[in-house]
Amino acid sequence: MKVAYIFATQRHNVSYVLAKMILPQLEENRHGADVVGMFFFEDNNYVLVDGNPIGARLHKVAQDKGILLMGCDQCCYEREIADKLFKGVPIGCFPDLYKALSGNMPDQVITL
Amino acid sequence: MTALCREACCSVTPRLTVSELFERGFRRNRAAPLPIEGAAFTDPEGNTARFSVDVTGDTIASISFRTSSCATLIAYCEYLAEITVGFRFDIASAFTATSLVEALPGVPALKRNRAVLAVTAFRAALAQASDHLSSVTEGSL
Repeated sequence: MKVAYIFATQRHNVSYVLAKMILPQLEENRHGADVVGMFFFEDNNYVLVDGNPIGARLHKVAQDKGILLMGCDQCCYEREIADKLFKGVPIGCFPDLYKALSGNMPDQVITL
Repeated sequence: MTALCREACCSVTPRLTVSELFERGFRRNRAAPLPIEGAAFTDPEGNTARFSVDVTGDTIASISFRTSSCATLIAYCEYLAEITVGFRFDIASAFTATSLVEALPGVPALKRNRAVLAVTAFRAALAQASDHLSSVTEGSL
């Protein structure tokens, strides 16, 4: 099964659900589903800023497994980080996300 | 006299950051068009832009636009709309996509091509305004 994650809420999402559940499972090839994309809203975008330690691991896994990472463009502009993300990580809105996923569509989109 | 910094580091408002230009541009994008409308343009990604202007003689009195709901494109268009009011058409037409990109830091490389669409549509409205001015001038002779 192919899934895409949308990180829409904040609190423990990146530091716990992503960093302590999803990311280690991906690194150990035992996540149980093929992750085709991750989209980040609001403060969750800070994980995509170049140099972020969780983001660095995520970026590596994404490159190895062909996972799309994308930040919400308005969220990134608002935080002045749009041009500071890991190399090759785009910003965009829903049209960009759907277009980027169109070649590898998920079966399920999971909002976290 | 030194120009005031209007980037995110300073408290001078209105700021000319992408985020705040988008916020203001989002409202302008919904306003009714002004009397002189330029042609609409579409880029290869399907984004559209169309400017309209109101003029006083050969200067820009006010600017409006209608664009796709792309934050970067709206911010670029809003920058042109805020900065070039009061400019003569020929001076405003000298604004290039490169100068627009330079004027608005913080846009990642993948999104900077929106500046081309913004400037193309802006110039089309200015060309329309020049034609309008010529026809008014000829009519008064």
